[in-house]
Amino acid sequence: MAAVSVSTPIGKPRGVFNTQLAGGRIPLTPSPRSSPYTPPRSISDRQISQPFATNVPHLRSVSRTHRDSPKSNIAKTKNSPKQLELGLSNWTLTGTGPALAQTPIRKPKTGLRPRAKNTIRIEAGDRYIPNRLASEGLHTAGLGKPDHDAKPKSSGLGSTILANAALDLGATSAEDDVIAALDNLDIQEEDDSRKKNTDNAYESSLASACGMSLNQRILAFKPAPPESSKPIDLRTQYNRPLKPANTAGAQFRRRVLTAPERVLDAPGLVDDYYLNLLDWSSGNQVAIGLERNVYVWSAESGSVNCLLETTPDTYISSVKWSGDGAYVSVGLGTGEIQIWDVEEGTKLRSMHGHDSRVGVMGWNKHVLSTGARSGLVFNHDVRVAQHKIAELVSHTAEVCGLEWRADGAQLATGGNDNLVTIWDSRSLNAPKFQKTNHKAAVKALSWCPWQNNLLATGGGSYDRNIHFWNTTTGARVNSIDTGSQVTSLRWSPHYREIVSSSGFPDNSLSIWSYPTLVRNIEIPAHETRVLHSCLSPDGQMLATAAADESLKFWKLFEKKPGTPSLSSRESTLSGKGTEMAKQMTIR
Amino acid sequence: MADEKEKSKTHKLSLKGSSKLVAEFFEYSINTILFQRGVYPAEDFSPVKKYGLNMLVSSDDQVRAYIKKIMSQLNKWMLGGKITKLVVVITDKETEEHIERWQFDVSYPPATVDPNTLQVQLLSKPSKRSHAQNSGDKENAALDAGQIPQEKTEKEIQDEIQAIFRQITASVTFLPQLDGNCTFNVLVYADQDSDVPVEWGDSDAKEIKDGEKVQLRGFSTSNHKVDTLVSYRLAD
Repeated sequence: MAAVSVSTPIGKPRGVFNTQLAGGRIPLTPSPRSSPYTPPRSISDRQISQPFATNVPHLRSVSRTHRDSPKSNIAKTKNSPKQLELGLSNWTLTGTGPALAQTPIRKPKTGLRPRAKNTIRIEAGDRYIPNRLASEGLHTAGLGKPDHDAKPKSSGLGSTILANAALDLGATSAEDDVIAALDNLDIQEEDDSRKKNTDNAYESSLASACGMSLNQRILAFKPAPPESSKPIDLRTQYNRPLKPANTAGAQFRRRVLTAPERVLDAPGLVDDYYLNLLDWSSGNQVAIGLERNVYVWSAESGSVNCLLETTPDTYISSVKWSGDGAYVSVGLGTGEIQIWDVEEGTKLRSMHGHDSRVGVMGWNKHVLSTGARSGLVFNHDVRVAQHKIAELVSHTAEVCGLEWRADGAQLATGGNDNLVTIWDSRSLNAPKFQKTNHKAAVKALSWCPWQNNLLATGGGSYDRNIHFWNTTTGARVNSIDTGSQVTSLRWSPHYREIVSSSGFPDNSLSIWSYPTLVRNIEIPAHETRVLHSCLSPDGQMLATAAADESLKFWKLFEKKPGTPSLSSRESTLSGKGTEMAKQMTIR
Repeated sequence: MADEKEKSKTHKLSLKGSSKLVAEFFEYSINTILFQRGVYPAEDFSPVKKYGLNMLVSSDDQVRAYIKKIMSQLNKWMLGGKITKLVVVITDKETEEHIERWQFDVSYPPATVDPNTLQVQLLSKPSKRSHAQNSGDKENAALDAGQIPQEKTEKEIQDEIQAIFRQITASVTFLPQLDGNCTFNVLVYADQDSDVPVEWGDSDAKEIKDGEKVQLRGFSTSNHKVDTLVSYRLAD
């Protein structure tokens, strides 16, 4: 059958072209076209391709022989969805009308049409690959083309022109022939494609292509895309101004003193991120743990006292003032917790329970929360003998950050397991929220003084982010990539700002506006990483202790006379501060 | 003969340029989709002037690196003419269900004319482009100027691309609201004989079951024609 069909075209010039068309068509129409336009295109392709037939199609058809198989399957499977698309797409955004045109075009040859389409698709994958075989096949077919191929193109012009003319005239009538030929080919392919190879390269290639299909593979880019840095609410997105908030003019930025107000030596300060060795009391005293000693430095008098020295087998791992500034709790490497009366210089009690070092503590009135290397957090009622009143189980690695909210309703803890846990003080059996967004240990935690349910947390070296949380809903409301390890965070009570201290590589202090997240200033604070920071009771001064064994005081949040500050509101919140403000000095 | 050689050279160049242009279009498309569909937060994107529009391009290092990796390979494939589709699939992180699928079909026909003009061609007169090109026949070239893709100016191509991006942007109005908890994947339909680096692996088509499909505009250059199709899960 195939031979017959082929021969007929050979006889007539038209027929020749038709076969060419078939050959040319196939490669021209790309298989994957899913557009509604497909039908019109195939028609148009046919006509267009005719002029081209002399050059391009041959080349393409050749490639077919190489890549035999699997294309057709894919192409076929795709056909059906595409056809569906046609119908669907009509009504929507496509402005072009061709989809409509399609149906009428198809109708006349309903039976034959689809198949022709299939073949077209199959071939589509191949392109622009010159192929000896194919051209030969065409030659055998007896077309006028061979001449064209063989000769320089300029000479071939005449023939192509003729060909075109013939095509134009016979395009419609030829179509039937082509389809018939294709039909035959399809059938034959089932039988034996080998025979025909010798006779007709074109046919064989077509057949093999039809039979085996799939010259194409679907490849996916395997690596997982990066996580988005925060939850997205698209509804807000569409209203977004184009300019990012960061461009808010520099002229609005506050001037900040960049030189330290005072520098003290802190010899023997343990360079350990997981400890919390510095705290400033509401009574304006700074306690710092240096190896086995706790020193208390009075900001008013400038005097220094050694409060205590531990036994040689352990060291100070955390220091925290009670809310009234009368007592300091000291966590030790052994897991013991001592409470000292600073005025008297005496130890009031020892509390045991942790079996590993206590790296962080926090007071909420008479309740002392302690976080240990084991990952456990205990609440101690320091007034009673059976001091342990709650065990907060959430972290699986060392707890290094712990902050009570000013009103004592919530507790935030951060650990070396990269977890931020938010607890409701009324139900400590289970965490209220556990946040896994940080990719490194979370030491820096700070509750916003003017918005009760806003918590800032900062991650370690591999994370470098500050995340802001709504602790009522558990949602992350903002994030900053600081570019370095975040070792501590402190909100300013006077400005809508937060200061972060950095470890490697910056060793700096950064002041960020909130909620714009603009970095107002970055102060190169220390030679080595800043380990701890604390705010003075009046909120103007920040003390930082760094691994370079120095303790520096920075007037970051200086209150300017005449500038309205937030403090009036804050003072009611925090209960301390304003009355302190005037008298506070550093000697 | 020398003349002809030169011709072929310029043709090659334009193919290269066209590949680059299409690849670039893909890059901006991916960025635009990630932005418009909220795969990444809006703050992670910064505006860039392109195609006469403010295109939003991710400024997140990781996302940029990810897209860059994809693009470097895509560029190679484009140059080799190995690609017939680029697909961006948006997947729900939790259910891992594919909820949106942006498909860019690349075709490499010599006759890359949009169907409208094709219809016209059909009726009026068939293109004689091949002669015109090969022979340098000025007459024919002039006659066919309107229908020859090569004659399309950069401005026209840019306008076409611009129209696509406007459509993509506008499509958020009819696409279902995404909950923001989505991730994306990039698929490519490549020829069997393509070189495949290790980062790329065979995949299914990630089609959307019973999805609605909407054909968007396309654009064409001398060597490529790109069509855009978005399919999405119908709202329940």
